[in-house]
Amino acid sequence: MNNRDSRIERILNRFNRGDFSRREALRALGAVGLVAGAGRLLDFQAIADEAGKQTGPGGIALSRPDKPVTLPLNGTPIKSGMEPEKGPFQIFNYQDYVDQKSVIDTFSKKYNVEVQLTTFDTMDQAITRLASGSVDMDATNIVPDRVAQMVAGKLLAPLNHDYIPNLAKNIFKSLQNPFYDQGSQYTVPYNLYATGIGWRNDKVKEDIAGLSNPWSVFWDDKTSAYKGYVGILDDDRESLGMAMLHAGEMDVNTEDPAVIEKALADLKMTVPISNPKMNITEYKDLAEATTWIHQSWSGDLLGAALFYMPKGTDPSVLSFWWPGKGKGTTQNDAWALLASSKKPVLGHLWLNHLLDSEVAYNNFTGFTGYQPAQASINADDLVKNQVIPANLKNVILTEDQVGAGSLQYCQLTPKGMALWQNAYARFSSGA
Amino acid sequence: MYPKWLWPVFAVPGVVWLILLFLVPFYAVIGVAFGGIDPIFMNAVPSWNPAEWNYDSMLETLKGFLPGNSYWTVLVRTTVYVALALTGSLLIGYPVAYYISRHAKKTKSTLLALLVLPFWVSYMMRMLAWVNLFSLNGYINKFLIWSHLVTTPPDWLNGNPTSVVLGLIYGYVPYLILPLLAALDRIDRSVLEAARDLGASPASAFYHVTLPLSKPGILGASVIIALPMFGDYYTPNIVSSSPRTTMLGNQIDIYFHGGPQPAVGASLTLLLSGFLAVLMAYYMITIARTQKEMHG
Repeated sequence: MNNRDSRIERILNRFNRGDFSRREALRALGAVGLVAGAGRLLDFQAIADEAGKQTGPGGIALSRPDKPVTLPLNGTPIKSGMEPEKGPFQIFNYQDYVDQKSVIDTFSKKYNVEVQLTTFDTMDQAITRLASGSVDMDATNIVPDRVAQMVAGKLLAPLNHDYIPNLAKNIFKSLQNPFYDQGSQYTVPYNLYATGIGWRNDKVKEDIAGLSNPWSVFWDDKTSAYKGYVGILDDDRESLGMAMLHAGEMDVNTEDPAVIEKALADLKMTVPISNPKMNITEYKDLAEATTWIHQSWSGDLLGAALFYMPKGTDPSVLSFWWPGKGKGTTQNDAWALLASSKKPVLGHLWLNHLLDSEVAYNNFTGFTGYQPAQASINADDLVKNQVIPANLKNVILTEDQVGAGSLQYCQLTPKGMALWQNAYARFSSGA
Repeated sequence: MYPKWLWPVFAVPGVVWLILLFLVPFYAVIGVAFGGIDPIFMNAVPSWNPAEWNYDSMLETLKGFLPGNSYWTVLVRTTVYVALALTGSLLIGYPVAYYISRHAKKTKSTLLALLVLPFWVSYMMRMLAWVNLFSLNGYINKFLIWSHLVTTPPDWLNGNPTSVVLGLIYGYVPYLILPLLAALDRIDRSVLEAARDLGASPASAFYHVTLPLSKPGILGASVIIALPMFGDYYTPNIVSSSPRTTMLGNQIDIYFHGGPQPAVGASLTLLLSGFLAVLMAYYMITIARTQKEMHG
């Protein structure tokens, strides 16, 4: 980055912090020769270096599946060959997202250590609590679009892969060197999912997967027959992203106000048609038939089939469709170690334990319903062994469906996040 | 006999509680509304010094309350729901409180204990129980089908406003009955006897004596339930989840739950507090007037 870019970055950082008013920032940018486009630059809080990269928190470039980023290293990884520390070992995770028996208890027994699980409701809550120091954790679940933020805030510890042989041995090759953390310096992948549509094929006449644009089921007047039985994910990125994909807009990380505004207008059109519920409980609602068509995460369909079907209801009543690689979104989450942890060796062993094939398989089939990023997981085998119903074979992602070339919700600039959040708030206001 | 300072000292714990657990957190909300955000974690960075306050978020949020804009729609909807829920709660709660106060003799203690029972269960659990009862295959629909009152089970939870209003009534009516009961109990029975002695019928005595004397109790109980209803986000989430029924509390929840705009959530909270302060002012003026009329 040249000297002018550095000065521009310093001005923008001071503007972001509130040290400069907009007028002062514009004057300062003009003084370094940036006049045309200065306003837009402030609006998007981004700098454009020669590669045209946008930056997020801490000035780290925003990663994309086609623009991988190597994160700056905070310190050095621990040395190899050290003995694990004594417990208790603190893990931080969503509720009901790691199995006590097959994962936590087996780790406890193997390393003779007490594992204590603390849960959070949302990733924002998790990061707030970690950043404020109100929780003292050793390892945490994390999503890719927040990794750079946590690295910028020096919350994460770099990894020594000598302790994590299962990463190279068991995990999808395409996720061993992910675009959001090249070299897996801080994270290991956990679970995968795609976003699509789940429905009850015993209640819904239409062959949703057979439609030329299956997303259109949320906008079709015929869907008013299912009014009150339709659901959309209660998530700003997923809901507005669905409207974008329906309209053929494939840049689901856009910060263009016009595109976001159109997605909002499109999303509002679903309300008079089907009065959709906004929630993330489709794993239960589809199983119990309180919802018949729901924008869904693939893992929730499996969870519904494996754990939530009422007695006497066969999981074959559930169906799932997603658009496929590059046309629909996939996501994985990850685990990372906290820089403040006093048990880094145990932390590395925990990550390796999560990536063990048997542990991951049992966690998936016995508890979460979410597919781990394990190369050994095969849809045909799962169907043959009657682990998953044949009608839900397509919820299992293959290695070539994730990684480079896939569509994924990624980190935005603060301005971009605000645009999406405001649009979503306006949608959910019903105005 | 007792020093003058003794009785005011009894107020000290309450005042300390008020300052530590209300005024300080409230000022923290003000600090967030007029403050900034951490550039890395996007957490709120409150601004404590009024001279350094940033008014951008508040002004932008205020624009949303102009008629036709999104917050205006939600505020009107919230006010309508609260008004309906309050009316429903009074129609249900007043007769219950009146009966226990005036006519329950041997059963008064039992009825009081039953009134307190809902407080043993958290609001969240009571709402979840409501969802189970009113689901498509829940016990309410099973009863309605069995009794031939309906032929197809109604869908109570499909995102309609009636469910939200009924949910608010169900959740808050216990909090209305107890203070109303206390107010009715305080009415001097000799005043009622005097009315009857002067030829008033029971209905007339109720309308001309009991009801006006219970007005402070009605207002007080209404304030106790209306204020938290305005900020409720859980009830519409649980019984509806539809954009058609979101309340102002849901909007505040979106901004406080995450993202780079906690100042917007704090601004919404302050504006809602301002609106409720206007209602509180009406309550306090009315109480003062009523006290003046009663005591001359």
